[in-house]
Amino acid sequence: MGKKGWFLIIAMLLVLTTACSGADGGGNSGTSADGKVKLRIAWWGSDTRHEYTQKVVDLYKQKNPNVTIDVEYASFDDYWKKLAPQAAANQLPDIVQMDISYISQYAKNGQLEDLAPYLNQKIQVADVNENVLSTGVIAGKQYGIPTGVNVLGFQYDPALLKKAGIDKIPDNWTWDQYKEMALKAASNKVYFDSSMAADIFFHYYLRTQGKTLYNAEGTGLGYDDDKLFVDFFSGLADLIKKGATPPPEIMNQTKGILEESDIVKGTGIGIWQWSNQYVGLQQVVNRPMALAPMFGPNMEKGVYMQPTMYWTVASRSQVKDEAAKFIDFWMNDVEANKLIKGERGVPISSKIKEAVAPELSEPTKQVFEFVASMEPKASPMSPPPPVGSPEVIATLTDYIEQVNFGQMTPEDAAAKFRADANTILANNKQ
Amino acid sequence: MSLRNHQSLKANMTGYAFISPFIVGFLAFTLIPMFISLYLSFTTYNLFTPPKWIGLGNFEKMFTGDPKYWNSIRVTFTYVLVGVPLRLIFALFVAMILNTKSRMVGTYRTMYYLPSIIGGSVAVSIMWRNIFSNNGIVNSLLSTLGATPVKWFGDPDASLTMLITLSVWQFGSSMLIFLAGLKNIPVELYEASSVDGAKPVRKFFSITLPLLSPIILFNLIMQTISAFMTFVPAYVISKGEGGPMDGTMLHSLYLFRQAFMFSNMGYAAAMAWVMLIMIGILTAILFITSRYWVFYETEKGC
Repeated sequence: MGKKGWFLIIAMLLVLTTACSGADGGGNSGTSADGKVKLRIAWWGSDTRHEYTQKVVDLYKQKNPNVTIDVEYASFDDYWKKLAPQAAANQLPDIVQMDISYISQYAKNGQLEDLAPYLNQKIQVADVNENVLSTGVIAGKQYGIPTGVNVLGFQYDPALLKKAGIDKIPDNWTWDQYKEMALKAASNKVYFDSSMAADIFFHYYLRTQGKTLYNAEGTGLGYDDDKLFVDFFSGLADLIKKGATPPPEIMNQTKGILEESDIVKGTGIGIWQWSNQYVGLQQVVNRPMALAPMFGPNMEKGVYMQPTMYWTVASRSQVKDEAAKFIDFWMNDVEANKLIKGERGVPISSKIKEAVAPELSEPTKQVFEFVASMEPKASPMSPPPPVGSPEVIATLTDYIEQVNFGQMTPEDAAAKFRADANTILANNKQ
Repeated sequence: MSLRNHQSLKANMTGYAFISPFIVGFLAFTLIPMFISLYLSFTTYNLFTPPKWIGLGNFEKMFTGDPKYWNSIRVTFTYVLVGVPLRLIFALFVAMILNTKSRMVGTYRTMYYLPSIIGGSVAVSIMWRNIFSNNGIVNSLLSTLGATPVKWFGDPDASLTMLITLSVWQFGSSMLIFLAGLKNIPVELYEASSVDGAKPVRKFFSITLPLLSPIILFNLIMQTISAFMTFVPAYVISKGEGGPMDGTMLHSLYLFRQAFMFSNMGYAAAMAWVMLIMIGILTAILFITSRYWVFYETEKGC
């Protein structure tokens, strides 16, 4: 090949590679000589969330004119597809919105910064409950700052409850009382609820018995007695069989279509879910609704404040101070929180909670009150799910589906789940 | 180096320079990633920590320790073996109707082709989800006809049927190719056969099908390959879970879940390579058997 030819090819290659690195270079952020700071922030969510988050970002830029902020947002599924390769390429945004099911994975692989040194320096946490702040601690390090908190509960239509022949949900109701009431609703041709998400509520049930889903090290399951599994899931399957909750065919058919769910159609009394999902549900249901605490016994042991999500800072970030300052702004700025309106969970700062209370819509107020009433009762959260938990949860969901379809006994499911979960967790051990 | 050689080299160089964007792109985005993926298929890799060599471990797990993998193979083969022939039969049927002389033919062709243009997109899958939902048009139709509505996404068997129906409905591109093939069949053949007293059914089997067989082979292979790689409808309709009871867990969806939800990149890479080999074998079988049923005019002509 002639010299000229090689030259041309090399030139082409150079153009291409610089074009690529140019694109990457845009992602690199840092402080330049003139004091300008460039931040990158990423989150997932709905359109409403994108809108107000952008407004908060703008507000921050307005108050800190030397800062420019690049935003990246996506739906939940797309977000993780994008984030994983970014992490592998060491290109994570400076501030990353993090889900509880993924934080262990990112933290343990050295992608996230320990924020403990920033606490009460850049990030003021004087008004935050210790139980809440500690939910961001993994293996002794403060990797995440909760954006807000949620608590599990039963969200229902009181009028429909009366129609089903039940006056009210008793104050300290139990698992057995719940099942009785559900059957009573079934005899009056109303669904009591739409069953419970297998992983979340089984974990709650285990906690009321002093156990957890994963052990403290995240290397295996946190309970030894498969009877707990059988009791809980055969209880739920039994309610399906007796018509107290919809059969799995209907559940699958309506999944993700809120408008077709029984509570919206007026054929179901309530839903078991996180408190931050109440506002959206209330809007669609459009009838007076209420929140009830989880069933007991030992509700106090089971219930906990769960971070809706976290703000985390990438360990490779060049502008960690500014990132921490932004997180502080998010947590402690009244004006910003009047835009946020508790959409990412009830604010963790008690001062902010009071400051925004008058600004809230009626359902949001209900949620704030509900969370406030549960906060003193709640026990500390179990450690965030270990690496590999998405696969464990998918496995659990699969087996429970087979139980609900009547194709597997709860005993078989318990044994198989134990075997699978242990294999998965062992594979992910570092 | 002789002058002539040098000049031709120079001329070639310009050519190389002009195609170098493709070559570089091919190397950087196809060939090298392929080799990396082949390497990854022998490792465990979670994207964060360096890949760990485990030899044939992934393949061993796939074939002996993962019932969900076999389920995904079963679902995919059902989807392909039922869906592709149905789609081609339907495409040929519509192509023959559109091959008649009518003033509206242009409009019809466009209309029938539309589903394929919007094809595998997310919007169509969402629309499909709505059509088959509880209060969707299909169930309303069923209940007006006095039949019981079907839980299309709730029943493991019904959901795959629905997915296949969607694939049959997107018959436009193969239909257009059939249409072009039909136009190429000499009218004289039909005229001559009419003179001999052949009925339409006879004409179809003795003239249309044999002369169309090369086109059928082409469509069959293209559609089979693309059907094996179907992802979007299953992902959207099952909300990414392949449910109910893994009834719509196509191979590509299971691969996606392993790769991006469970961070098992090595395992996913191994799955991808096994699928590649399977598609290769199937295509080879189609080519080999085509000797017995594909008819080329030129063979006899020359």
